[in-house]
Amino acid sequence: MASLAQFIVAGLKSGAIYALVALGFTIVFAATGAINFAQGEFFMLGGMTGAYLAHLGMSLPLAVIFAVLATAVLGALFEIVAIRPIAGGDPLRIIMVTIGGSVILRQAALHFFGPDEVALAAFTPGPSIRFLGAAIELQTLWIWLITLASVGGLVFLYRRTAFGAAMRATALRSDAARLVGIDTRSMVTVSFALAAALGAIAGLAVAPLTQSAFDVGAGIGVKGFAAAILGGLGSPIGAVAGGLILGLLESLTAGYINPLYKDAVALVVLLGVLFIRPQGLFGGSGKEKL
Amino acid sequence: MRLADAPKRALIIGGLGLLTVALAAMLAGCSAPASSSGGGSAGSDTVKVGAILSLTGPYAALGAAEKNSLELEQQRINSAGGVGGKKLEIIIEDDGTDEAKAVAAATKLIEQDHVVAILGATGTGQTMAARTVIDRAAIPMISMAGGNAITGKFDRLVFQTPWPNSIVVPFVLRKVAADGHKKVAVITDSSGYGKDGSAVITQEAPKAGLTVVSNQQFNPGDTDFAAQLTTAKSSGADAIVLWTAGKEGAAIVKQAGELGVKLPMYGGSGQAKSEFPTGAGAAAEGFVFGTGKSLLPSNWGTGTPEATLVNDFSQRYEAAYGTAPDIFAGHAFDALSILTDAMKRSGDMSASKLRDAIEQTNGLVGFAGTFNFSPTDHNGLTEKDLSLYRIENGTWVPVQ
Repeated sequence: MASLAQFIVAGLKSGAIYALVALGFTIVFAATGAINFAQGEFFMLGGMTGAYLAHLGMSLPLAVIFAVLATAVLGALFEIVAIRPIAGGDPLRIIMVTIGGSVILRQAALHFFGPDEVALAAFTPGPSIRFLGAAIELQTLWIWLITLASVGGLVFLYRRTAFGAAMRATALRSDAARLVGIDTRSMVTVSFALAAALGAIAGLAVAPLTQSAFDVGAGIGVKGFAAAILGGLGSPIGAVAGGLILGLLESLTAGYINPLYKDAVALVVLLGVLFIRPQGLFGGSGKEKL
Repeated sequence: MRLADAPKRALIIGGLGLLTVALAAMLAGCSAPASSSGGGSAGSDTVKVGAILSLTGPYAALGAAEKNSLELEQQRINSAGGVGGKKLEIIIEDDGTDEAKAVAAATKLIEQDHVVAILGATGTGQTMAARTVIDRAAIPMISMAGGNAITGKFDRLVFQTPWPNSIVVPFVLRKVAADGHKKVAVITDSSGYGKDGSAVITQEAPKAGLTVVSNQQFNPGDTDFAAQLTTAKSSGADAIVLWTAGKEGAAIVKQAGELGVKLPMYGGSGQAKSEFPTGAGAAAEGFVFGTGKSLLPSNWGTGTPEATLVNDFSQRYEAAYGTAPDIFAGHAFDALSILTDAMKRSGDMSASKLRDAIEQTNGLVGFAGTFNFSPTDHNGLTEKDLSLYRIENGTWVPVQ
């Protein structure tokens, strides 16, 4: 029983991280109709930049905030430099560019930060708390809190602000949005910045538990992508649900079957959903959900 | 709008043109000294050696130290006149801690660079994978990985500089038993070194009076170990034996602390790097591991040949890189030292003569201990070269 509780806690912890990364995929998909395969690299850049700044002597909260801002700016720059010149064309071209971008970002991180893993201090140091026989690290509580706040903030932004309405309008029909005076180009840039910020937040939240390194982006990118597909691309609630389901499936597989098979679960789930229900568990046709 | 774009575009094109010219100039500048020093005309005045290192991936910390070590020694050897009158050229390839890339690197080094010997690989899995290419080309290889299979599954071309699992595992397990433990949970990685360690632990545990009550693996790159740790805790073990050389070791020990798994933990050479106590933090306190004496040069006493060699290397390494060498830097030092020693004795730089000369290595004092190779033993280290350490206050101290 205590084991089951522990496996569920571990699953919801990884699941919350997958959800944050999946949200990044969702936002960019809504704005461009393309998958941003550099999303995992934003996760890596968040953790690495945060650890780097903390290492330079910046206080932890400042380092975290600066890392998120820096990654968001980089996300916007990435869009302006690499995506904007080919905007409006085939989404496949955008996808290819993001794959190339991910390789460049990873290699740049290798040269700038070096090959070693780096550690970040826990947000609040202290012993784990006990719940139903399971130990819950304080950092896990932070991860849940951050995921909840991010989803809440995102829903508020999209539903309750004029800015969010403009972004939704761009997602629904870009040319019509432009006709009513929305700067659709900026909306795409902002969506990349937001996706990068979410990725960075996820990378920072797990860095105290797992350390970070220049090459962690690709793996988490696959997981986040699987979660986004599972939940239905374009739906923030679906992305969160997809992330949590994937995390739980992995953790239970690791606990009750064999830890070596847990990565295969993500791929099997991904393939299964693509075959049986391509619109995802919670997806309608996509963009209207946002 | 369009008109305004035109000068901008001209500016961009002009800028790109300038950049191209600048890059071309830089490339020309780089290649000029290389061609004038005669690097191209290999064979007569240079001897080419390949190195396959894990500069990225889970073993990146190991590969980086090995690269430092090889570059430091290459410079020292060449400024002292080279080996047998020839300039030593070490060509380093990154295998990304990936077995397929290790095979590709070995192929490239042999077929394009025509190296006479290969140093590496960093990891056990990578070494074993590259062996097929080595065998086909029939050139000697000196591995820096600690898997038992490397020299246990004997290959006349392959030599090994670290203490293999077959001597480190029993050494550590006897300590586990001496501390009063009876039942152990084993956690290893699913790559070469971990799998190798898992097999040796299963075989050696009964001889040390221990029962393995749980034996679990994790994949390189994993970040959550709740499943393995929870299972180990509920298995009724009184101690955990962790056998991995990857960066995951630190995360496992750290998470054990977070999850309240308070079992004493033991490990091997994979934990003998500063990234381990740094990454695991307070949870690493009390962790006991067995590895070579040279991790603390003072273990060799004063004035002994080992102490002189280790101190000299440590001082030069620290002067060049600002940190003391870890054991992995030492394994690379040994690999190159065994090779250059054989080159000097042989005088002939052909691969087959070099292999024979390496096999005749006798009484060569190295970082890891004294190397005595024979036609049946391509490692030649013994338990006498090992020592036990405990993590205290974020660093290692000897266990009495």
